Amino acid sequence: MPVLEVVGGPGRLSRESFAELWHFREVLWAFVVRQVKVRYKQAVVGIGWAIIQPVLAALVFALFLFRYSSVPSEGVPALLFTLAGMTGWTYFSSATALASESLVTNQALLRKIYFPREVLPLSGALAGVLDLLLALGVLVVVTFAYGIGPALSWVALPLPLLLLVVAAAAFGNGLSAINVYYRDVRYALPFVLQLGLFVSPIAYPLSVVPSSWRTIYAILNPVAAATDSLRRIVVHGHWPDFPVLLASIGWSLFLLLCSYAFFKRLERGFSDRV
Amino acid sequence: MTDAVVFENVSKRFRGGQAYRALRDDIVGALGRVVGLKRGSEQVVRALDDVSFSIPEGQSFALLGPNGAGKTTALKVASRITYPTSGRVRVRGRVGALIEVGTGMHPELTGRENVDLYGRILGLSRRDVRSRFDEIVEFADIGGALEQPVKQFSSGMQLRLGFALAAHLEPDVLLVDEAIAVGDAGFQYRCVERMRELVQEGRTLVFVSHNMSAIESLCERGVLLDHGRITADGPARDVVRDYLRQVEASLVEEDAARSVTGGGLAIVDVTLHDESGGRVEEAAPGRPLTVRLHFRASSPIDEPIFEVGLNDGRIGPFALASMLIDGQAPRSISGEGYVDCTFADLPLLPRVYELWGGVRHGAGFGDLVDWQRLRFFRVAGEVDGGGPAAVSHSLSNAPVRLPYRWGFGGGVSN
Repeated sequence: MPVLEVVGGPGRLSRESFAELWHFREVLWAFVVRQVKVRYKQAVVGIGWAIIQPVLAALVFALFLFRYSSVPSEGVPALLFTLAGMTGWTYFSSATALASESLVTNQALLRKIYFPREVLPLSGALAGVLDLLLALGVLVVVTFAYGIGPALSWVALPLPLLLLVVAAAAFGNGLSAINVYYRDVRYALPFVLQLGLFVSPIAYPLSVVPSSWRTIYAILNPVAAATDSLRRIVVHGHWPDFPVLLASIGWSLFLLLCSYAFFKRLERGFSDRV
Repeated sequence: MTDAVVFENVSKRFRGGQAYRALRDDIVGALGRVVGLKRGSEQVVRALDDVSFSIPEGQSFALLGPNGAGKTTALKVASRITYPTSGRVRVRGRVGALIEVGTGMHPELTGRENVDLYGRILGLSRRDVRSRFDEIVEFADIGGALEQPVKQFSSGMQLRLGFALAAHLEPDVLLVDEAIAVGDAGFQYRCVERMRELVQEGRTLVFVSHNMSAIESLCERGVLLDHGRITADGPARDVVRDYLRQVEASLVEEDAARSVTGGGLAIVDVTLHDESGGRVEEAAPGRPLTVRLHFRASSPIDEPIFEVGLNDGRIGPFALASMLIDGQAPRSISGEGYVDCTFADLPLLPRVYELWGGVRHGAGFGDLVDWQRLRFFRVAGEVDGGGPAAVSHSLSNAPVRLPYRWGFGGGVSN
């Protein structure tokens, strides 16, 4: 018979945390499915939002930036260039926001039932994946429309997608825990994300960054590495810059681990403080 | 014998004050400390204060105590909804918990999805959950609402589903709080029956309730909590008796020495006397009791009509001595004196009663002293009887003792 220990004091990340998360995988899945359903059931345009958001933003950027300024677009049509950028960014920003609100939104649940709490932010990060795939579908359609065909390099697509999910989970996890204690997160996050849009190569190419900084910048900013890889793969039909991409995935996994440990430390206070 | 639930030096403190902090408050606080300003005294509430006890497997166990004693917190700690500040709790096996209405349920999920979710959280396989599904739905009696989100359920339906989930998914330890008191009588009966069944199957029950009869008849052992500390631990019946005594004592104490005044007349004291006239603090059951009302009249009053009533806590007196009925009002009173009212052979069960009184004006029956509670008094003695709820039932039900016996006719096996 399993023995459950409830010990006082701050929690910590251990091997049991992972075993427990695995044990609760179906609960995690139930929350993911639930969030996806709720999001589209309550919206009139429904699943269309997954497409409208990145497309409109990409159109605006394409119009203003490339018509009226001299930002280079790597020699591809401006709309295609910005759409490739917005595909990843839309997922990252909305998944991070959803995950960081997840504990506060589900506070009734925190006070009524036990489950490892990281299930909530993780499900927030995962629930956006469907949107990401839909937006990617649109990107592919637009790419075809410009007469650019598929290339062998497309088999590398899962890597930048994985990078985006890991990065969103890392940020969402940590922010959701802080949000329980400081609701300032709710107000600061949209602002910070807005800045993020401009410090990431969404509306400009990575080559704009000075070459001496480029590699380290692309590794440390996972959105930069993911966006650049997405562009290379889909728009140019090239292989991504594997060393940078893999290094950035490694860095994001490290961030995820840190934010998970941070989360576990605070977890025990959630139901009292939320 | 192995223990199902063990509390080891468990403390739980809550910080009072605001529910959540803004960053600004912490920055101000930190600056204050640096500069040496005194921090505002933070209110710390000790919900549990170094609590230790263990519950052997298969025991039915009750937590008793006044509101705010820490009973619910103890259950929440045992079900990992909240964590202790220090100490350690060990629970063996699956825990089913019904702590508040809606415990264990996701408001956005449908009834059916919640059954699955809860089963998964308890670690049951999908097949196990399916096999219990009909039983749960039948017990919860939610029929057609099964496919609706739980937030659209009435609180009664949520409660029924919550209990059905906690009590039917094979819990090794079942934690039940007050919650069932919200349900209608039929549902409460079924809950108690289900808990009894689980106890007979050898499951462990931890029961929190203000319903002393339910505790007495359902639980073997009880622990009394007060301000987060254990003040009694023993057979449930004894702890129930202790607790009720304690409640009575605090009632009597709170009531000490009050005098009531009306228009020109004051009842300055109410004393009790036995048949020999000696002053007593407790009445002896089955013996005469004299209630003496000491009055002070500022001017002579003609034909004051005294009334004395006995009350057991429910509305209205169950016994009344009134000069309005017997017509024995004195011609007049003045200055200081007393009026005696003697009840012959008090046929009351041992517990605390309220003594009410009032004085009316002879002409027109206007109130000189309003009808009100004058004091508490105890009828001494111990409850005897071997029934399943002898203590709590006799302390909360009909107060008058009439001699009676049971007889049986055909169709009764005895």
